[in-house]
Amino acid sequence: MTATLEGRELVVLRGGRRILDGASILVRPGEAVAIQGPSGSGKSTLARVLATLLEADAGSVHLAGRDAREIAPSQYRTRVAFLAQQPAMFEGTVLGNLGAGPKLRGQPFDGAQARELIGAVGIDESMLSREARTLSGGEKQRVALARALANAPEVLLLDEPTAALDPDSGARIVALLRELHGRGLSVVMVTHADEHARALGGTLYRCERGQISVDA
Amino acid sequence: MSYAHISVSRLLLSAVLIAVAIVLSRRSRLGLERDLVWGAVRGAAQLIAIGYVLLLLFNHEKPGWVLLLLAVMLVAAAGTAARRVEHGPPRRVLFPRAMAAIGAGTVVAVVPVFAGVVPLHPWYEARYLVPISGMMLSNAMNVVALVFERIFASARTEADQVEALLALGAAPRQALERQVRATLRAALLPTINGLLTVGLVALPGMMTGQIVSGTAPEQAVRYQIVILYQLVAVAAVAGLVAVTFARRLLFTARAQLVLPQG
Repeated sequence: MTATLEGRELVVLRGGRRILDGASILVRPGEAVAIQGPSGSGKSTLARVLATLLEADAGSVHLAGRDAREIAPSQYRTRVAFLAQQPAMFEGTVLGNLGAGPKLRGQPFDGAQARELIGAVGIDESMLSREARTLSGGEKQRVALARALANAPEVLLLDEPTAALDPDSGARIVALLRELHGRGLSVVMVTHADEHARALGGTLYRCERGQISVDA
Repeated sequence: MSYAHISVSRLLLSAVLIAVAIVLSRRSRLGLERDLVWGAVRGAAQLIAIGYVLLLLFNHEKPGWVLLLLAVMLVAAAGTAARRVEHGPPRRVLFPRAMAAIGAGTVVAVVPVFAGVVPLHPWYEARYLVPISGMMLSNAMNVVALVFERIFASARTEADQVEALLALGAAPRQALERQVRATLRAALLPTINGLLTVGLVALPGMMTGQIVSGTAPEQAVRYQIVILYQLVAVAAVAGLVAVTFARRLLFTARAQLVLPQG
C-alpha cells in the first residue's frame, strides 16, 4: 500500500543538540495517528518537518511515495495541511479567513462553500461575519481547521491543537478530528496529553529524545 | 551676482547655536552633550573636507576622480544603511545588498535627468553630478535603512502569520505581502510628505542655497522640482530593491521562513 505521508530517518540539529534523532513515521491513507511525548521531546519539530516548514538536516519526507523535495512547496502544503498550536488568524472576518487558501491560488470561493466548511467544524453560520481575531481559542482552532479544509487536503497535521484550550474545548476538538478522520482524511496529531492521544483512536506513537516508536 | 561672505570668525560664532543645545541638554539631563559636541565637530570637519575635495575636483575635473568620489559616497551610504539592524542579518550580509539597492535607486534617478533634463557638459561635470547624486544617495540610504529595520522586525513579530500563510500554500512573496506593503509605505512616506509640504513648511536646502548664492528664484525652483521628483524615484527604486533582497534572506529556496539570529 502506498504511504500517504512518510518521514524517513529524520535528523534535526540545533546548536549541537539532536532535536530529531533518526525519527521515522508512516501514515497510511485515511489513518489517524497521534504522536505523544513530553515537551522538548522533538514532536513539534517532527510535525514542522513533515509540513516542510522546517528542513531536516538528514532524512527525507515522502508524500504518496514521492520525495517532498521534488514537489513544489505550495502544492505539497495544499495536500498536507498544517495547523500550529495557536493558529494565527488573518486580519478580517471569519469568511475572509476561510477563503484565504483558494484566494492564494486565484480560485473562487463563495458563501456556500464557507457555510459548508464552517458547518463541518461545528461553528454557527452567524460567525462568518465576525472579526476572526476576536474569537476564543477554541473557535480559532475550529476556524483554522475549516480554513485548512478549504484547500481540500489529503492529510491534516496538527501541532498540539488542544494545548492552549480548556479541557472541554480540547475534548471537543479531538472529537471533531475523529469525525474528520471518519470522513476519510488522514489525521496526524502531536500532543503532550495522553488522554487526547488515546481519544483520537488511531495508531499511537511515543516521542522521546528525538526518536519515535509505536506504542505497544 | 554677489552674496554675503562668511568669514572664519563669523563661522565660529554660529557654534553658539550648538552651545544653546548643550545648555538645554545639561539642564534637562538628557546626557547628549558629548554627542552634540562630537556631532558638531565631525559634521563641520566632513563638510570642510568635502569642500576642499570639491574644489580639487573642479580644478582637475576628470571622469575617474568624479566616479571615485561617487563610489566613496556610495560605500559610506551602504555602510550606514547596513549598520545596526536589530533582528536582522549581520552587517557583512546586508552591506553588499544595501549598496546594490542604493546604487540602483540613484542610477535610475540620476541618469535620465542628466541625459534629458539638465544636460551636462562634459557628462561628468562635477558641479552638478556630485551634489545631486549625493542628495539621491542620502535619500536612498535612509529608505534602505528603514526597509531593513522594519521588514526583519515585522517578519519576526508576525512570524506566525507568515507561517500560517506558507502552510496554506502561499509563495514567499504572498506570505510576506502585507509586511512588505507596510514597510514600503513607511519608507516612502517621508519623501511623499516632503512633496506635500515643500514651499509651505520649508524651503529645501538646495533651492535656498542657490537663491542665497545668486541664482534667479525661478530657476532655483525648477531645479528643486526636478530634485523632488528624483527623490521620489530614488526612494521607490531603492526601497523595492532592498525589500526584494530582504525577502530572499528571509526564505529558503523551499519556501521556509528563516529568521536571522539576533
